[in-house]
Amino acid sequence: MTEQQMAFYVDLAACSGCKACQIACKDKNDLDVGIMWRRVVEYVGGDWTRSGDAWVSTVYAYSVTVSCLHCEDAPCATACPSSALVKRDDGVVLIDESRCIGCRYCEWSCPYGALQFDGDTGKMTKCDFCADYLDEGKDPACVASCPMRAMDYGPLDELRERYGDLAEVAPLPDPSISRPAVVFGPHPDSRAGASTSGRIGNLEEV
Amino acid sequence: MGLHDWSLIIFTILGQMSVGVFLILGVIHTVAIRRHAVEEVERLTDRALLAIGPVLVLGFIASLGHLGSPVNAYLSILNVADSWLSREILFGALFAVSGAVFALMQWRKVGPFALRRVVALVAAALGIAFIVSMALVYMLPLQPSWNLWATPVTFLVTSLLTGTLAIGVAFVASYAYERKRDGEDSAALAALLYDSLRGLVIAAVVLVGAQLVTIPLQVAILSGGETAAAVDSAARLTSDYGIMFALRLALAFIGAAIFGLFVYRSTLGQASQRVVGGLVGGAFGLVLVGEVLGRYLFYAANVPIGV
Repeated sequence: MTEQQMAFYVDLAACSGCKACQIACKDKNDLDVGIMWRRVVEYVGGDWTRSGDAWVSTVYAYSVTVSCLHCEDAPCATACPSSALVKRDDGVVLIDESRCIGCRYCEWSCPYGALQFDGDTGKMTKCDFCADYLDEGKDPACVASCPMRAMDYGPLDELRERYGDLAEVAPLPDPSISRPAVVFGPHPDSRAGASTSGRIGNLEEV
Repeated sequence: MGLHDWSLIIFTILGQMSVGVFLILGVIHTVAIRRHAVEEVERLTDRALLAIGPVLVLGFIASLGHLGSPVNAYLSILNVADSWLSREILFGALFAVSGAVFALMQWRKVGPFALRRVVALVAAALGIAFIVSMALVYMLPLQPSWNLWATPVTFLVTSLLTGTLAIGVAFVASYAYERKRDGEDSAALAALLYDSLRGLVIAAVVLVGAQLVTIPLQVAILSGGETAAAVDSAARLTSDYGIMFALRLALAFIGAAIFGLFVYRSTLGQASQRVVGGLVGGAFGLVLVGEVLGRYLFYAANVPIGV
């Protein structure tokens, strides 16, 4: 029997961009400098435009926290030449490091930068949805840490019933590429995935 | 641009050159034995055939440089069902094995001619599958400058272009060796050498023509791409790496077309083997450097889609 696909929910309107989730993830998984399984991407755009004697602002900014989205059609698992990446029964994508050859091909296939290379071990690393916590019935570290309570997780179908089915948000690529297990609550300013009106404002951080 | 990328540049070019040499040697052998004695033809082709092995092995050794855990390299063929990378390695290995079997049979003249032909055809088919799967490795939806028909086309052109001129160098070297061993010029062998070189440089000119059409088209398609990443990839190629990009095209043209013309004329004019050899070597060197720059740009200029 296959269990339901596990997924994340992020309420973009509630997110303050504080990055507590990113730090909680680093702490829980003891990640080295340079490896970030969860990153908060700031999308910014707009301008000041003159309208008669007044200047009107169209400036906007919002944050999108992104980790491995445990895609339903995980392109990393298709790409991996040694079958080191596998989807668990609950849809969580796990890496078997003993099989990883460190070719980094999964990195080229992932839309979300979830696969990250560890130079010390010569292996790829990734978010495991805090699988150990899930098995103990505890919340993933990122979800538990959010001071705005902007994050949730659970079976994808249940999240969609509760929050809708928005998965296409700039600057994330077209969700049809990999069918990510994620639901977003819209931000008043959030743009569709193909939007080129803004840019990533904190490139040096992510 | 670290060791990671250089190992892929070396692996893809040497792998493609190996297949190109194998395919074109087959064509030359087939055409040449109609007009020349088989024994004469094989005095030039057999040593070129044997040279493929070390080149291909060197390519595979270089490929290990891009693995974080090279001791696990043998696991890379486990996902043949899904992964083009697994298929690339599998076809590469099968080409190497079948090519080695053929080279051994050909060198020692084992088995009847027809049987050796069949083995060679099998190896050639596996070689083509190796190049095609190598291209499909890169045709990923998130990598706009790789996910174009130009990738298999340029890989095939690189294969045949470097292969063509590498054979020219190998023939010149084989001829020099044979002449030294015989202690005298063989008119028949010299005629064969010059005939072959003319055919090879004509092929090189056609191939570089195909390349000079494909590459600008690829840039045009990218500049008009739907994603910002595609447009950025084209811009990196023509502005950030503009000089290298121009140099890469110029080297291919000078090497294949201009040096090719000189090779053609010098073989007609019965110039000395030393001059002809120098020109062939120059053509190969220039084209090879051009191809290395081109492959460097292939990796360096690509801007992925995604975060």
